[in-house]
Amino acid sequence: MSDSGSIISDTFSIVEEKIDVEAMISAAQRPDSGAINTFVGTTRVDESDGASVEYLEYEAYRPMADGKLSEIGAEIREKWDVRHVAITHRLGKVAPGEASVAIVVASPRRGPAFEASRYAIERIKEIVPIWKREVWSDGYVWVGSQVGTRGE
Amino acid sequence: MSGKSVKVLLFGAAADLAGEREIEVNVGDDSSLDELWEAAIREYPRLSPMHGTLAFGINGEYAERNAKVSPGDEVAFLPPVSGG
Repeated sequence: MSDSGSIISDTFSIVEEKIDVEAMISAAQRPDSGAINTFVGTTRVDESDGASVEYLEYEAYRPMADGKLSEIGAEIREKWDVRHVAITHRLGKVAPGEASVAIVVASPRRGPAFEASRYAIERIKEIVPIWKREVWSDGYVWVGSQVGTRGE
Repeated sequence: MSGKSVKVLLFGAAADLAGEREIEVNVGDDSSLDELWEAAIREYPRLSPMHGTLAFGINGEYAERNAKVSPGDEVAFLPPVSGG
């Protein structure tokens, strides 16, 4: 259900600096859309065995990861009437509470904006070749593989 | 069998276990990803436990284990993704 009558402004980015969520929201504001849904994934400090997460570190297989983000955007445009989709994923070291990923979807109505935003984060976790390493006070763990130095 | 050398990129836990981000693997002509994997773990046995969870890439796209590897292909060992 793409809006073929207008220029598509979708953006898919992988960055190594802080994500500018406000700029992403500004870029999504359009007169044809009554809803902008924003999802921001932030780094959480987990605790276990008297240790805690100090920071997260992300790496990606590029340009495959860039291509997969675009694919997710295309899937969203197939499924919902959305007028702007932007996804930014950060790489490198991300401090606690900072954004590692941001998704901004504009749609004429709120339903598709919410649904598409949820869909985007779930698909990122399924198909985009990006990996997260949790660096704890007592070692590190590759999330998803459970490979690392904690508990050694 | 003349054989050939294929470049393999390693990421995340796979790079960690192998101690390398890029390796060269010698395989026979007309080899599949599975055969390339067998050759890789002979050289890097620490990768072996990842066999069940690893995905493979050829030239930036996911590929099945029986896919053929050609000279000049860029192969990637892709652990379970954990972005977001």
